Amino acid sequence: MITLTRKLKKETTVSNGPPITDASKRVSVRDRLLVKEVQEMEQTLPGTCHVNFENPNELFNITLTVSPDEGYWAGGTFHFHIYVTEDYNMAPPEVKCLTKLWHPNISEEGDICLSLLRQNSIDSLGWAPTRRIKDVVWGLNSLFTDLLNFDDPLNLQATELYLKDKEAFRQKVNDYVKQYAKR
Amino acid sequence: MADEENSSDRADGDTPKPEKMFTLKKWNAVAMWSWDVECDTCAICRVQVMDACLRCQAESKTGSGKQDCVVVWGECNHSFHYCCMSLWVKQNNRCPLCQQEWSIQRMGK
Ligand SMILES: [Zn+2]
Ligand SMILES: [Zn+2]
Ligand SMILES: [Zn+2]
Repeated sequence: MITLTRKLKKETTVSNGPPITDASKRVSVRDRLLVKEVQEMEQTLPGTCHVNFENPNELFNITLTVSPDEGYWAGGTFHFHIYVTEDYNMAPPEVKCLTKLWHPNISEEGDICLSLLRQNSIDSLGWAPTRRIKDVVWGLNSLFTDLLNFDDPLNLQATELYLKDKEAFRQKVNDYVKQYAKR
Repeated sequence: MADEENSSDRADGDTPKPEKMFTLKKWNAVAMWSWDVECDTCAICRVQVMDACLRCQAESKTGSGKQDCVVVWGECNHSFHYCCMSLWVKQNNRCPLCQQEWSIQRMGK
């Protein structure tokens, strides 16, 4: 991030000199937005979340770790990869859950059903360029608590089990946590 | 002139004299005007609408690219850079701030 900020500064100071035409040297709109948004996200990060950048020059590759302290998944540690595409903020980031888990809104393959990550939505819940990375982090974190939703499941079996036998559901969630989500 | 009294009531608690009320109203009017003209921020790129949008700033080879980057107002009265809004309506033809179907009321600077 520091490097990118420096890159931005350099670009502005260069503007009275010869213009930079090489596209690869240009800082994209996405990266400009991310410099501000990542800072904001880090300042408002929920206590159950941790973010990491594999490469500090690639703010668009974010690893998010959620360790819920309440609810069915408490005690587990879940890793997400957030890839902010070049189309940001016209398009939402692409998110995958890297930790295998038993959750009605996350498939065992790591696909996530979260309304704010939907590009084409007719209601106000889908993606809009007014949303920020911190909203995505908040949404993913809330999937373990407030946004847990049994009405619109991605993992049908998980929902069916929950509706049939809540104790068995709890047990299965726990088994997955023990096997896959202990750091 | 009920509005005048209301706004001064809300603005401060210490019982204002008539002269004070008048100054306060004048101050309010100026603040409204400058918000509309200078301080509106484009909710898409988060740059003030009177400046060139983030995309034009990033892509311009010399200067700010300000000339071509205009402001667009929707029927809902929300304003954005035309550049920003024209990209967003391709994804979803709604105002990102109020979710109303987007239609242009006017364009300009
Ligand atoms: Zn804009
Ligand atoms: Zn522009
Ligand atoms: Zn609007």
